[in-house]
Amino acid sequence: MEKQIVEYASGNEMAAIAIRQIGYDLMGYYPITPSTQIAEGLDTMKAEGRTDLIMIAAEGEHSAAGICYGAAVGGGRVINATSANGLLYAIEQFPVQSGTRYPMVMNVACRTISGPLSIKGDHSDIMFMLNAGWPILFAHSVQEVYDFNIIALKLAETVRLPVIVAFDGFFTSHQKRRCMRFEHKHAVRDFLGPKKEEYPFLDLEHPITVGSYMNEPDLINNRYQLHLAMKEADEILPEIFGEYGKLSGREYQKVEGYCHEDAETILLLLGSSYDTSLEAIDKLRKAGRKAGAVTIHVMRPFPAEEIYDYCKNASNILVADRQDSYGAGGGNLTLEVRAAMQKYGSRVKIKSLVYGLGGKDFFAEDAVKMIQWAEDTGTPDFEYYGVTEGKEPEEDKENISENFFEPLTPERTRIGAIQVSEDGAGKAQVSGGSLNATAAMPKRLAPGHGACPGCGIPVNLNLLLRAIEDPVVLLFQTGCGMIVTTSYPRTSFKVPYLHNLFQNGAATLSGLAEICYRKQKKGEIPPGDIIFIMVSGDGGMDIGMGSALGTALRGHRLILFEYDNGGYMNTGYQLSYSTPKGARSSTSHVGKAQYGKTFFHKDMPQIMAATGIPYVATMVESNPVDFIKKAAKAAFYAKTTGTAYVKALSACPLNWNDKPSTERKVIEAAVDCCYFPLYEVEKGKTSLNYDPEKMGKKIPVIDWLAMMGRTKHLKKEAYAGVVEELQKEVDRRFEALRARAENPLL
Amino acid sequence: MGKAKLPVNGGSGYYEIRLESIGGLGANLCGKMLGELGVKYLGLNSSSFSSYGSEKTGTPVKGFIRYCDKDREIRVHSPVISPNLLVVFHQALLKDESVLEGCGENTEIIIGLDGGGDNIMGRIPTGIKACYVVNAQQIAMETHSRINVVMLGAMAKVMGFAELEDVNQICEDTLGKKYPDALQGNLEGIRRGYEEIRELAGSVSEYSPGPEGKACKGHKSGEDASGWGYGTAPIGGINPNFGSSVVSDLSPSRQGYIPVFIKERCINCGLCDSTCPDMVFQFAPGKYKDREMMVNKGLDYYHCKGCLRCVEVCPVNALVRGLEAEHPHKEYFLPNQDLVRTPDYYVETGADGYITSESFLTEKRMGGGEV
Repeated sequence: MEKQIVEYASGNEMAAIAIRQIGYDLMGYYPITPSTQIAEGLDTMKAEGRTDLIMIAAEGEHSAAGICYGAAVGGGRVINATSANGLLYAIEQFPVQSGTRYPMVMNVACRTISGPLSIKGDHSDIMFMLNAGWPILFAHSVQEVYDFNIIALKLAETVRLPVIVAFDGFFTSHQKRRCMRFEHKHAVRDFLGPKKEEYPFLDLEHPITVGSYMNEPDLINNRYQLHLAMKEADEILPEIFGEYGKLSGREYQKVEGYCHEDAETILLLLGSSYDTSLEAIDKLRKAGRKAGAVTIHVMRPFPAEEIYDYCKNASNILVADRQDSYGAGGGNLTLEVRAAMQKYGSRVKIKSLVYGLGGKDFFAEDAVKMIQWAEDTGTPDFEYYGVTEGKEPEEDKENISENFFEPLTPERTRIGAIQVSEDGAGKAQVSGGSLNATAAMPKRLAPGHGACPGCGIPVNLNLLLRAIEDPVVLLFQTGCGMIVTTSYPRTSFKVPYLHNLFQNGAATLSGLAEICYRKQKKGEIPPGDIIFIMVSGDGGMDIGMGSALGTALRGHRLILFEYDNGGYMNTGYQLSYSTPKGARSSTSHVGKAQYGKTFFHKDMPQIMAATGIPYVATMVESNPVDFIKKAAKAAFYAKTTGTAYVKALSACPLNWNDKPSTERKVIEAAVDCCYFPLYEVEKGKTSLNYDPEKMGKKIPVIDWLAMMGRTKHLKKEAYAGVVEELQKEVDRRFEALRARAENPLL
Repeated sequence: MGKAKLPVNGGSGYYEIRLESIGGLGANLCGKMLGELGVKYLGLNSSSFSSYGSEKTGTPVKGFIRYCDKDREIRVHSPVISPNLLVVFHQALLKDESVLEGCGENTEIIIGLDGGGDNIMGRIPTGIKACYVVNAQQIAMETHSRINVVMLGAMAKVMGFAELEDVNQICEDTLGKKYPDALQGNLEGIRRGYEEIRELAGSVSEYSPGPEGKACKGHKSGEDASGWGYGTAPIGGINPNFGSSVVSDLSPSRQGYIPVFIKERCINCGLCDSTCPDMVFQFAPGKYKDREMMVNKGLDYYHCKGCLRCVEVCPVNALVRGLEAEHPHKEYFLPNQDLVRTPDYYVETGADGYITSESFLTEKRMGGGEV
């Protein structure tokens, strides 16, 4: 046995340790809760010089899967980690990877899929992968996350298939446990051996084609090869488990059981609940009840024979699923177990309960009740466990659905504080809009939202909306702004509001706006201007850029509003493409081998301007009157012409690591150092609204960076080169803007 | 190693701790240190985790730690319901009844005071084993440490099976390498927490609710005031109760300070309203210097999170920073004027956030050195 040491760590942390020890070449990833800590942990190690793993933060999971695929084809050892909607967004890539037979490993910290959006753990994501051609190992403990990461790569390279290591989001990914790991990485590397390539892609003397176009009758043969590989995986796994057992002292089986041999009733469940249920089994056994529990370590290839062996003596089986295959009378585990038992001729009674969705806690007492459910003759074969019917409001009590506010009718929002008209040159002219006058605008957002103290998001939203006197409809992409305002059963919105996923807000709003215009035309809803606004931030213009550009190119009449807080703040501040170069984030740590983010902030307004939409503008809360005017113009263009894109720099005290009270000054400094220039591109013509140099207020970029904890390390002499590069880029962009402002042809 | 003798719950065999805190006070890191303490220095097995998704500043956060004998596997993954030790990081949390859920005869409670006197804001349940208090915020400020280490020291004293030196060691392991500058202050915070924790004199039940002692409702799953379940909730997660977040009382988010309004200085420029993330300022048509205009009538302190952005932007010092403890009766306290009916204010509890990552936040707060 190889020497091992004790770690006190979570599943994500143990996955990161295994990945480092294995010595992967490349990780392509995109942050998504609850899997993100794996990349964060590796990035920390990278900053400290403890791994030379290439880490590529993609602009979305689909691309992350593409990066992994490319790297795997190139012969690298490749790792990914994802969850929930990230997995689903990337899903078309997975059969490509398995069908063309390129091994890699992907960790899936299982989480419920949208919508409604929830970040908590269940198995609704992983079950979408049952037909993808990837072997799926399921770890129910932190220890297994580590062990299975090593086993998975061995399996992957043996049968030449990509392999998933799945485990419970939060319950396993975040809970810390005492566990063991090899002291030295060579133990892991010797176990795995060198990677062998049958057809090295980068051997230019023997060029190969990967990804043929294939007709019948060939495709079915390719799929049969895949089927055979899965079969091989089924056969080889016990061998690999055995070999790993010799190395570690932990020998796994495809199926694990507890008191199952003589059990009359067996509870079969997947993931961390299995461990919890063992407490219940002990209790029941003490009371003389013959109960047992079984779980599986391998979801694909499904261990039908082993399941049968473990369960054949029981009279009742209760399969508890943390997801539902809606309409099938059970979750996928239930369906598979039923098929397995039937295959081997068992006539045991199998009942099924769906439980624990969206991370609903599972207590040992629940396991006792489930066993009882299985044994009772009157209970249905399939049911949900732990649902609440709810209660109708009592008559003498306050009716909760009675509204707290009057609806915001057009009469209430037409306060007459701001007017927009078209001037002779065809440009929008704004009059009015003072802070005092627009204070009369009823807030579209109710207080009581959960944003951090000093958060810039509601500030920017309120500034935008106080300038718009027409009714508004809001759509938020996933992000902090959405999370903190709509925590069920409450909502902060007093106007119609819709959430859609991170990458798809603009497209969704296109559809919504068009149907509104159609209904108005047909007289189905009253006429009158309605301003449709898509709100995005927290890096939403990375993953959602394609959708936003498509919307702009089609020219729907709506506003795209970006609150740019410079990072994925909703998931704990991973870098986004608009994070400043050099900034510390949880995926761009600062250490002896890394100085923070390595590339420049994205210039989204210029990208949007290139689509030729009538109005693009940048605005900041430190110049509120300018902000309000631009908001009014954006609404004017959305009403009359087409798409408007407006972007505000938005403070995040938590992750910028500065004081909530002074955020407006930090924003002001970002403008004065020209990092965030204030300008408009109106019908193709650029105008600079504020030139710090001319006002005698220009400051070096480092003065702004030094105001925030995330960038103040850049003051150190060692980072002078990084700051100089950033200063140059900021100056170059500003000079280009100035040239455009001076020359209408640009 | 192996020296700790654990006063475990009869049934479960675990010694269970629940931390009740607010994002930003460092409960997450505290839980992690407690877990490591068990495995590394007490010769125990332990597990630890936090309520998921609530690392935002100001949001309630819960931490769970379980200890048991070294050779026993910790199999349960569920949160701690009936704790041996309940640690309330800030007394304002007691306004939420759910914080005290599951307290019984085996429960000892530690409450962190904020220096505003011994007046405890909520009811302490009767029939518990003991209740202790420690001036956590004050000690943290004086030692340049954080509330989490003060509570750690206090907990070591109450638990009885962890020596002060073990706790110091785990603190050194966690902070020493990365933040040597912060170490001394944190060790001092631990020591003072250990030494200055005191049992509430007499019967704990004699402490009545504090000045804001209106009973508050917590949000327990399936028991929400909405009464919504599968039989009553609108389909698809639709929420027709527009603006209903107004029922949340956010005052526990504040960390000691409030903006104090000096109305006679106010010029009604509206800058405060433009910088407030929480719709606190109540402007209404009125007269200022004989001119018809929008006038600042007051502040909705139910929703003020104490960020003090308004104090920073006010050009005439009509808004100034004040210690909340010195302003028990807030002048110009005006609840949201758009309300057409008065809600029963209650505190949000449970994880309603999205932020789940701890690695960066932990660093940041240590580096930033904020309490």
